[in-house]
Amino acid sequence: MHGLQLQAVLIFKTPYMKKQIIHLILICTTAFLNAQSPVNSAMFGMMEARSLGPGTMSGRISAIEGVNNDEGKTIFIGTAGGGVWKSTNAGASYESKFDKYCQSIGALAIDQKNPNIVFVGTGESNMRNSVSIGNGLYKSTDSGDNWKKIGLDSVEHISKIVIDPANSNIIYVAAPGPLWSSSKHRGLYKSVNGGDSWEKIYYVNENTGCADLLIDPTNSNVLFISMWQFRRQPFSFNSGGVSSGLYKSTDAGKTWKEITKGLPPKPFGRIAMTLAPSDPKQMLAIVESKNTGLYISSDGGETWKSQSATLNVCARPFYFSTIAFDPKDPKRVYRPAFNFAYSSDGGYSFSDASGDGGWVHSDMHAIWINPTNTNVMYIGTDGGVYMSVDKGVTWQFNHGLPLGQFYHVAADLKEPYNIYGGLQDNGSWMAPSAAPGGIGNGNWHRVNGGDGFWTVPDADGKTVYSEYQGGNMYRTNLVTMKGEFIQPQKTGKEDKLRWNWNTPIVTGAKNPKNLYVGSQYLYKSTDQGRTWKRISNDLTTNDKKKQAQEESGGLSADNTSAENHCTIFTIAESSLDENMIWAGTDDGNLQYSTDGGTTWTNVSGFVTKSGIPAQAWVSSIQPSQFDKNTVYVTFENHMYGDMQTYLGKSADLGKTWTRITSKEFTGFAHKIKEDPENKNLLFLGTEMGLFATLDGGVNWFRMKSKIPEYALVRDIQIHPKTHDLIVATHGRGIFILDDIRAMRNLTKEIWEQDVFLFPTPEITLNTGKFGWGGPEVSGGWNTGNPPSYPSINYYMKQRLNTGKITVEIFDDKNQLVQSMPGSIRRGINKVQWNLCGIPPKVAEGSTKMDGAGFAAPMVLPGNYTVKLKVNDKEYVSQIKCIHDEANKDLTLEDRKLVYQKAMQLQSLYNDINNTIDTISLYQAKMKKDTVTFSKNKNAKAFYNDLQKVKSEFMATTKTSIFADEERLREKVSKLYGSFCGMESKPNSTQLESIEDLKKEYATNRTAFNAAITKHVPKNPEFKVKREIN
Amino acid sequence: MKNLITLIFIAILSINSFAQTADEIVAKHIEAVGGKENWKKVKSLKMECVMKAQGAEIKTTIVQVNNKAMRQDIALMGMNGWSILTNTEGWSFMPFSGQTKAEPLTADDVKNAQDGLEIQDEFIAYLEHGKKLEYLGKDDVDGTDCFKLKLIDKNAKETTYFLDADSYYVIKETQKIKANGKEMEETSTFSNYKKLPEGIVYPMNVGSGFGDAEVTKIEINPVIDESIFKPTK
Repeated sequence: MHGLQLQAVLIFKTPYMKKQIIHLILICTTAFLNAQSPVNSAMFGMMEARSLGPGTMSGRISAIEGVNNDEGKTIFIGTAGGGVWKSTNAGASYESKFDKYCQSIGALAIDQKNPNIVFVGTGESNMRNSVSIGNGLYKSTDSGDNWKKIGLDSVEHISKIVIDPANSNIIYVAAPGPLWSSSKHRGLYKSVNGGDSWEKIYYVNENTGCADLLIDPTNSNVLFISMWQFRRQPFSFNSGGVSSGLYKSTDAGKTWKEITKGLPPKPFGRIAMTLAPSDPKQMLAIVESKNTGLYISSDGGETWKSQSATLNVCARPFYFSTIAFDPKDPKRVYRPAFNFAYSSDGGYSFSDASGDGGWVHSDMHAIWINPTNTNVMYIGTDGGVYMSVDKGVTWQFNHGLPLGQFYHVAADLKEPYNIYGGLQDNGSWMAPSAAPGGIGNGNWHRVNGGDGFWTVPDADGKTVYSEYQGGNMYRTNLVTMKGEFIQPQKTGKEDKLRWNWNTPIVTGAKNPKNLYVGSQYLYKSTDQGRTWKRISNDLTTNDKKKQAQEESGGLSADNTSAENHCTIFTIAESSLDENMIWAGTDDGNLQYSTDGGTTWTNVSGFVTKSGIPAQAWVSSIQPSQFDKNTVYVTFENHMYGDMQTYLGKSADLGKTWTRITSKEFTGFAHKIKEDPENKNLLFLGTEMGLFATLDGGVNWFRMKSKIPEYALVRDIQIHPKTHDLIVATHGRGIFILDDIRAMRNLTKEIWEQDVFLFPTPEITLNTGKFGWGGPEVSGGWNTGNPPSYPSINYYMKQRLNTGKITVEIFDDKNQLVQSMPGSIRRGINKVQWNLCGIPPKVAEGSTKMDGAGFAAPMVLPGNYTVKLKVNDKEYVSQIKCIHDEANKDLTLEDRKLVYQKAMQLQSLYNDINNTIDTISLYQAKMKKDTVTFSKNKNAKAFYNDLQKVKSEFMATTKTSIFADEERLREKVSKLYGSFCGMESKPNSTQLESIEDLKKEYATNRTAFNAAITKHVPKNPEFKVKREIN
Repeated sequence: MKNLITLIFIAILSINSFAQTADEIVAKHIEAVGGKENWKKVKSLKMECVMKAQGAEIKTTIVQVNNKAMRQDIALMGMNGWSILTNTEGWSFMPFSGQTKAEPLTADDVKNAQDGLEIQDEFIAYLEHGKKLEYLGKDDVDGTDCFKLKLIDKNAKETTYFLDADSYYVIKETQKIKANGKEMEETSTFSNYKKLPEGIVYPMNVGSGFGDAEVTKIEINPVIDESIFKPTK
């Protein structure tokens, strides 16, 4: 609010304008209040997304820290795109702790003197092509429950945070700084006041940041840093330069000297280093240079000696920058890298981890060794966290971290539908959107390997298309999981094909038999990739300067197809016309064809006029589903250091463009999605959040609904049958927001009302699609199923502070069927009716729990009235409940029979409970005065006779849950319960036994009557008034 | 005139800079829930509650003497159970999960549950109880803008309160409990605040992980026969 404050201060200096000023201030305030749209995420808070994970292949881990004096139980995990997770049980389960903040984590630090103090540096520093960015440094003083941003907002990447072990107020932060641009915001930062303020204490130049940082635990004036010159461009990577170097300070960072003795000649790339906490003179460094190698120092870093090391120790130094000594043993060294290696002789030789216990995900970036039990350690890989209890020889996977880094998501039309998606370094996978017992790790199935991207089901229901990096694409049979390579090959008529790292594979929105893939050319197949037709010339700029990928990497060659450029990146067929095809490239071209690809029009020149940069990647295209001339396109320019959110709309086939902006937007844009039914409902996914608009893009708000607020949203789908919003995140897996119709139907006319009861869609009467499915598997990631039928939804303009809300259901005879408390929150409220009536009352005093008190038969098909009662106001709508024709086990006649029998049993059950209650009333009256009772023989005899009768009506003696005691009530209850949940014709014995139970009741009832007749004349004072039905 | 401008200026700044201190928020909260004087008079309580789910009901009765003792009775599916807590001891008889006789609570449980014995609003006497107050900024609870306050007691037990920024009522509370080597978080919600004849404002709906309990009857300062705080079975 600096603007307003400033304005007010200025106004104060001109006192002669007082009157106008007051007026102005009032206008300002009003304008400020009115400028905000009333629609925001809070309205949809009750619509909670399901986090499907998976945890079976997790995501990239960038940092692990544990609390030293806590038996190794409290552990924090920092992730590439999934925020911060905390375990208080050594990894048996984890809880997300950073859902409201930037999800890309570079470094963690715990103040071991006060472990409630935790620092999180956002912006991962494993500088691969797909690395995200951060927005500063955060601090918690309550072990991660609450966070405060404490600076370094512009460094984008943080690689290390070190707290001075002698003085917790002194903190050092290593900031490599921006990957995609020059910046002064890099170097080594220091705070002397617990993070309240920061000073940059070492800086080389705009292109060289601080990659690694060590402190001598025995003398905290001694520090080491490695400076790193590096830069990415969309089409190349460079690690290394003369500005890189290794430095030492002996005065807590005031002065620094460069260390060269024994190190190879410069230029250097990234240097990873470590020292032995138990003998800090012992140091190791992996120095990237023309001859990347391992170096050992035994004199506190003054001189170094080259040591031969395996490829695993030295490979990909820009990506594997972790090496660690055992906290107690200066001979034991760990190198998590491409694979896990350990040394028992101070780094002179290394062994690889054993394969016992199964495969460990390669590509490792983080390690935490429990200093009080150094046998125990955790590593962070590209696929999650592993724990070892034998010094890193064997590893066990932690299955409870849902950190999948999806690039795209697709869904089929089955019931329940399946979702498909490809993940960074974790292949391509599929899972059902619902399953018996919910979705757990075991419901996910792998479709393909490598880095996964587009994973698209074919309309035939039997086939999926998927790929690994660089356009290596397959058609896979979903039953056998056998795949055929289908990538179009270069013929004499084409240049060398250029496939993006993340090559688009798209099926037609109008004609799902059309399969499109793109190199620099667009290809189309109508027979599942068996024959391909090239339907375009080179659609890119074909800028040769951007095509020297073989020289990429800098000092270490690194050309993994991640830098392939001048390629098609996104393809979209209009849902209104299969001949209308759009294609966007990674070098700024946006082209369309209206004749199925015969001719193409490049509109990128028009796009730039709206302020969108020329070379920006076209990240997604949404041809409108309502108007052929309208298209929404997202662009992203982050690889040129520009993190702005670019969203454009054209309503004239790309001739003129409006750039859609919002102060809500954060992060560069990946995906725009238009709702298929409400053209004013749009969703935007960016590197830092999911946004929605209900008015066609004028007002936007950040979606929460249990989706992390700064989630890296890569893809969005809206399921045409279930109306679910399916969100693919790059670090938190898949989220499904079930049935967004309440959001779709929320219009201005409705949100201006105090209360609005939405019409409930028709309900098919069944108990759901699935049975129980057994208990959840321990240690994994699980999520529940969506409700099987629609909820009753209502909108509240404000939270109800006083009074209550009740939702009542009436049948067509205006009889009350069910009554439920309603939620009182602002925005959309949902009440789930169980489609049953009110259960019977259960008489108290038993030694067994009786479930009938929670059971009632499902209502019969018909029209029901919903009455929403908000204090003294009533809102009414109708629900039509229909018979489930799909269930061949239950005809409508069967359903009626089941209902009729269930109600007979309910009536019998009520009779039993009324009798029991009556007996209890008599007994209570007798025992009211215990002294008199103990002297009254008649009363005692009466009491005991009644107790005998009661004990025939219900269980009264056996208290153990393992000792069955079945009396009449338990028998009726059991049969009643089975009728309540029945979805097939009752079997003959079930029907017969109802009659037997009725007879048993008559017998017991006779015994009760006999007791009354016998005793009441002798004890008239105990007669109770209660009438039995 | 100048004062008016200053007033508006301050009003704008306070709306937009959230410059309220924890003490101010607590003062407004206490005023909103009936004032310190009325709350200080609350010494005992008897309350009947019902939890409803799809027409089924679970009834509980709570009897409590401020900072001294509490008894809860629950009727569920034809069975009856209860729990008792005093300053030094506690028992529970919960036959629903197979308990066959009353069992004493562990010393840890008794210690951890002590703050539940406080009937008075937690912000009335937090200083006397040696609790530390922290203001954690604003937060959103179910779409309602809230002030977030934390009380830390002498045992370092933390309770976070979410106060509706308009009404200053507590609408949500989370408590972190460390017991038997585990760390757990419990969340409660409060709504339907009503002014009672005694002048205090009390939530007639209390929600927990198990569902919402509606207060159907409440008596402030009833006479309580303290023999009920001894186990009966």
